[in-house]
Amino acid sequence: MSAPEPARLLPTAAVPQQAAPRLDVYPLTGRSGFRAVGEVSLPTRDIWERALERVVREAGDVGGEDVYYLELSAVTFVDVAGAGALADTTKNLGGGCRLVLDRPPDSLPRILGLLWPSLSGIEVSTS
Amino acid sequence: MTTATHPAEPFVHPALFYADTDQYLAGTVSFIRAGLAAGEPVAVAVPNENLALIQDALGADGDAVRFLDMREAGRNPGRIIPGVLRAFADAQPAGRRVHIIGEPIWAGRSPDEYPACAQHEALINAAFQGREVSILCPYDTSRLDERVLADAHATHPVVIPAGSTDELVSPAYDPDGVVARYNLPLPPAPGAGPEVFGAAFAEDSLSAVRHLATEHGARLGLAGTALENLALITAELTTNSVVHGGGTGTLTVWPQDGYVLCEVRDKGRLADPLAGRRPPARDQRGGRGLLLVNLLSDLVRVHTGPEGTTIRSYLGR
Repeated sequence: MSAPEPARLLPTAAVPQQAAPRLDVYPLTGRSGFRAVGEVSLPTRDIWERALERVVREAGDVGGEDVYYLELSAVTFVDVAGAGALADTTKNLGGGCRLVLDRPPDSLPRILGLLWPSLSGIEVSTS
Repeated sequence: MTTATHPAEPFVHPALFYADTDQYLAGTVSFIRAGLAAGEPVAVAVPNENLALIQDALGADGDAVRFLDMREAGRNPGRIIPGVLRAFADAQPAGRRVHIIGEPIWAGRSPDEYPACAQHEALINAAFQGREVSILCPYDTSRLDERVLADAHATHPVVIPAGSTDELVSPAYDPDGVVARYNLPLPPAPGAGPEVFGAAFAEDSLSAVRHLATEHGARLGLAGTALENLALITAELTTNSVVHGGGTGTLTVWPQDGYVLCEVRDKGRLADPLAGRRPPARDQRGGRGLLLVNLLSDLVRVHTGPEGTTIRSYLGR
């Protein structure tokens, strides 16, 4: 029953050769953190995780209390694994640091609330 | 049948059969009052009309009880263990027995929903094994069909016959058998047509199929949060196929009754029947994709076997 049924697939619905999804990350000027442009999904997961690891490393170098901004207004999509990387980041940052998600896609705070309900150290800014 | 004793297993999971309102209230209200009298946490998740009956009967004593409309909270049976039962049980202080009334099966459950309901009832046993928890499941003998009542004898180790207070061991108890029996092939998705989007995918087309599926969902009438949910569900199911299900799969999105259905087929096998039904462990990294699909969908049906796995999510329009 689970055998593929290629005949029922629409030949016209074949996936167009769309450009691979991108995620570009730029450091912020004037405050700590980064701006991301693109989407966070399996093909771009490594880029996202490396950017978040850099945040944790910088926080360790500076030490003490700090706020990190992730400017996400140009991020179109974040999947569960991408949200999980954010949850890990807030844990790894430790108590003194906060992560502010600046204008994330609507679904991201919703995923975090559903799947990481007791997460602290993360804030959402919509302005 | 003999009178039940629970010498070793702390988890208690009786089916309460009832034929009328008096029997319903006799069985449920005594269960609730026993929990309250012991100073232990009590939750009631039943269809709204039954919720009102119980609330009326309890009066002010109901202030200490957590009430949930199961028609809403448990519309998708796959959501009930993580989103209702364990969400309540896990939030209580350790060392006190937790009491829950859960009525996931009512007369209006559709033929599409019922197999997921039966599997849910069976999987409660594995999900709560070893826990100091009692979950009482009422079954309306006047309105549910024979097959449903027979299944309740297989999904509950203990049964309370209609009009009785006796807790009897169920000789038919066989939860694994129920999980396997309702692991049913799904009726084929419709073939080509203007309302059907179908595509094969692999890692390099994950993003493209998500976009196309979401555009199709919008054409079928999804908007706002429901459309976001379709994008998330598509992403998690197709990514699971790429990472765990053999690397490729097929995605189909189409309308059926008042729903948009999103189905992913791949060559993998889902070995863990509780996948997507455990609440997230605090430090566990992955494995939340199917949980999200269960939390967001109005119904999730799964068929898995040596030939592969099909997961079908229903989203209300």
